[in-house]
Amino acid sequence: MNLQNESWYQIALWFRQVSVMILKEFPQLVRDRAVFAYILYIFTLDIIIASGATLELKNAKVIINDGDRSHISRELIYRFRAPYFDVVDVDMHPDAALRSLDHGDATLFLDIPANFNETLQRGQEPAVIQMLVDTSIANLGYLAASYGTQISSELGAEWVGQHLSAAGASVGSLPQINNQRRIRFNPDINESWFSSISELLAVITVACIFLPSIAMVREKERGTFEQLMVSPLTPFQIMFSKIVAMMIVMLIGSALSLFVILEFLFDVPLRGSLPLFFALTALYAFATAGLGMLAATFARNSGQLGMLLMLIVFPIIMLSGLWVQPESMPIWLQQIINLTPLRYFIDIAYGILLRGAGIDVLWDSAVKMAGIGVILFTFALWRFQQQFK
Amino acid sequence: MGQASLVSDSSRHSIVEVSEFRKSYRKQLAVDGVNIAVRRGELYGLLGPDGAGKSSLMKAIAGVMTFDSGNIDVFGTRLNSEAASETIKDLIGFMPQGLGLNLYPDLSVEENINFFARLRLVDEQELLERKQRLLAMTRLEKFRQRPMKQLSGGMKQKLGLICTLIHQPKLLILDEPTTGVDPVSRRDFWTILATLLHEQQITALVTTAYMDEASRFHHVSLMYAGQILAEGKPDQICAMIPGTTLMVQTDEQAKAIQLLRQHFSQVQPDGKWIRLFVDDMDADTAIDRVRTLLSALKLEAVQKVDTELEDAFVGLLKRQALATVKDDAKVESADLNFAELIARNSDFVAIETCELTKDFGEFRAVDSVSLRVQEGKIFGLLGANGAGKTTVIKILTGIMPPTKGSGSIAGADIARLGPSIKQRIGYMSQQFSLYMDLTVIENIMLYAGIYGLRAKEARERCHWIGEMAGLSGDIRERTSNLPVGMRQRLALGCALVHRPRVLFLDEPTSGIDPVGRQHFWELLFELSRSEGVTILLTTHYMSEAEHCDHLGLMHAGKLVADASPEALKREVENEAGQLLEIAVSDADSAIQRLTEIGFKNSEMYGQHIHLMSKTPQQDAYRIREELNGLQVSSVRILDLSMDDVFVYKIRALERLADTGLKRMDR
Repeated sequence: MNLQNESWYQIALWFRQVSVMILKEFPQLVRDRAVFAYILYIFTLDIIIASGATLELKNAKVIINDGDRSHISRELIYRFRAPYFDVVDVDMHPDAALRSLDHGDATLFLDIPANFNETLQRGQEPAVIQMLVDTSIANLGYLAASYGTQISSELGAEWVGQHLSAAGASVGSLPQINNQRRIRFNPDINESWFSSISELLAVITVACIFLPSIAMVREKERGTFEQLMVSPLTPFQIMFSKIVAMMIVMLIGSALSLFVILEFLFDVPLRGSLPLFFALTALYAFATAGLGMLAATFARNSGQLGMLLMLIVFPIIMLSGLWVQPESMPIWLQQIINLTPLRYFIDIAYGILLRGAGIDVLWDSAVKMAGIGVILFTFALWRFQQQFK
Repeated sequence: MGQASLVSDSSRHSIVEVSEFRKSYRKQLAVDGVNIAVRRGELYGLLGPDGAGKSSLMKAIAGVMTFDSGNIDVFGTRLNSEAASETIKDLIGFMPQGLGLNLYPDLSVEENINFFARLRLVDEQELLERKQRLLAMTRLEKFRQRPMKQLSGGMKQKLGLICTLIHQPKLLILDEPTTGVDPVSRRDFWTILATLLHEQQITALVTTAYMDEASRFHHVSLMYAGQILAEGKPDQICAMIPGTTLMVQTDEQAKAIQLLRQHFSQVQPDGKWIRLFVDDMDADTAIDRVRTLLSALKLEAVQKVDTELEDAFVGLLKRQALATVKDDAKVESADLNFAELIARNSDFVAIETCELTKDFGEFRAVDSVSLRVQEGKIFGLLGANGAGKTTVIKILTGIMPPTKGSGSIAGADIARLGPSIKQRIGYMSQQFSLYMDLTVIENIMLYAGIYGLRAKEARERCHWIGEMAGLSGDIRERTSNLPVGMRQRLALGCALVHRPRVLFLDEPTSGIDPVGRQHFWELLFELSRSEGVTILLTTHYMSEAEHCDHLGLMHAGKLVADASPEALKREVENEAGQLLEIAVSDADSAIQRLTEIGFKNSEMYGQHIHLMSKTPQQDAYRIREELNGLQVSSVRILDLSMDDVFVYKIRALERLADTGLKRMDR
């Protein structure tokens, strides 16, 4: 009986020690204005700003030399429309136009020759127009070129159709493929849904790696760390309480951006179970925090830590599939990416938030993420104990 | 020759004149209406604790900081614009605070010197000559190629001095050049500075937090809380407070202190002795008064000692009511007699180490240290920077394991310090071990929680710490806003929150003002005497070493002396004799003459000459005879201070190492 009391007391003591260590982090965080403002920023403004940036073609500057000035050339020019294109000049001399491209003032130059309408009407040979595209920004150039081509070939097809019907034939008599699209999960292909969630995941990753490790290195810098080492706290308790404290901060931040920014501002439909989302986000925090803690055992001050974390955080965010599809990367890189917890958290987050998926679909991602997390955490704890030997 | 007499020539104009200087940082007033005048050739000292405003004043005089109001004239130029400051910068050498902070750690000694010389456009030929001379003088010649980061603290400061001197400035401004430097290097530093001043007619303005360095200056200003408390020659300041300093020895020390505190405000334990200042009384009346007051106790001895600057400083503060002095600095002094009995009769060994050794790579930081500390005793660990003191404490507290050897605390092996033994250890690291961004109460409650105190107990301890540290009113104050001395007491309080039986303190008092240090020592004394707490501490203040029951002197990782302060002093007295202080107007010729007649160890100490003598009475007589033509005004026999003991011991060891090396060379 007595023995049982004793072990209960030990457990109660363990929790009391951890809870004071967790609770002390909050006033410290709030009083550190720089860090507090940073956290507030990444969970709010940063997501708004990042979801404004899109991969679509928008307002690409177009300059045109309309040598023909016919109704058909005007029809073609008219089709280069907002929001994709912004026609700045329809009467630019080719030399001036080339200079403009050189200076990066325009993305696309369309040169319509003087006999365009005449050649088209005659129908003997193809009517030629020239499109010069600046592809120094590959993605944007590629889109501008293909949109431009699409516009001209649509116009061409319509012209053919008109000629056929004039000749008594109908377009319908020709073989055709009719492509009918049904878009799931994001019917308007609203890119801000995707980019705001993607940025939220990046921000959560940054917070999970940075916050606990910075809190740890601060203790080292200020010399309070030795005081903790001398106390009856175990290394596990010290590390655990840092991670839990910062996990709570991160969850509050995520809730803030989820409800205020994503749901309210961008109308993102939060389809799945939110408790499941937060639970798995907490699990993700543990899985990732080990990485930050590992860095904190190598760094002597926050400057060093900052540089180390850059090396860790950037590749993870760049490669894990937030910004690019992992499937488009070489196999060896994909295998490395499969070792990062973020790889699985992306599946989980999009699955819950946009597709409304439940744990029955996501359990394998969750298990893999937890497995990697346990390995990282154990390694970090081992390093943490080693650094004093 | 004859420059020494120039020093007392009052007709010369001032090199630096500061009037009504004021400087504030945001809303905090740092310096409030200070006037000082430094004359040519003077070694001028600004003394005061951290935060007194010394550095602000120094920076303003060096022309690197703006100020709110007042005037500063340097070499007759009024510093009222950046352009004006530029015109005098060639004449000034400024060394900012911090060990080697103005130097480049990765550059070698020589590269550092070259860099500063080229920055100042020193002619290459001249640079070569000056470098040679200064390196020889500072004995850094051997280390030319060594990167600065691998130098010891004292060597860094000497290199800093060379870099400050390389363009031959006429005014040297040195901000705490000796802080954190061990006593031997400190002495070296002062000797070099004195020689330079003497030879090159340089003027120097120097700050220090060590009160016992004051006698090295020609002129001293005592600063406290942005104001100048007193100024004058060091002995003049000591004489400003009328009264007598007494040392009392008795078996019932704690009781005697209690009795004396009822009548005198400056009473403090000093090892086995009690040091007290009796206001407005001459020596005989004061001794009589103390004897009557303590008539119920058995007195071993009551004697008058010289009033030191530290006594005077505390006295001045108390008189001006700038520092509130707590009369009730007692720590639950319930039954002193009983408690004293425990402390005295305890033979229990609280801390013990056996052949403790710690290697960092190639470097052996601690080399087979064996020591024993009995329960309830105060053990002082002394030594230069890098001697291994902090490492010993870190090993004992379980922060790092030893490479070899073993140790135990209260009988428990340090290799396996479990939570139960950690509950009995208190530790205060060199840096402030508090969370600056938490309030007083948050700090205390955090440590109470870590040590698993229950809520009721935690509140009690919190109350106790507030009382002890004298901060009951400021309990919701952010720790960073507290004055340094109070912060240190709070840190001690947090280290004591769980009533540890063994306390480790790593340089607990560096940078605190003398009043704060006195409070701090009173607390330690109470803890050890009335609660039987064992204390192991390190310190750079040799005056504090005398308060300890037992001292361990560390040098290059080894424990080279291990005895009580009295025993150490006796040992050095037997080996080298006593200290003679000679006041003479032509010091140069006097030292030359003294060396000729066999006093090889005579050296300048402020305006006086110090030397060691085994037969002080005869030698004093002989010196008077020999220096007959040189206007000797006094030859006095001085008691050895701990500082003297430390320097003597370390120098003897260094000589031994040198001859050892030479033998190996052959």
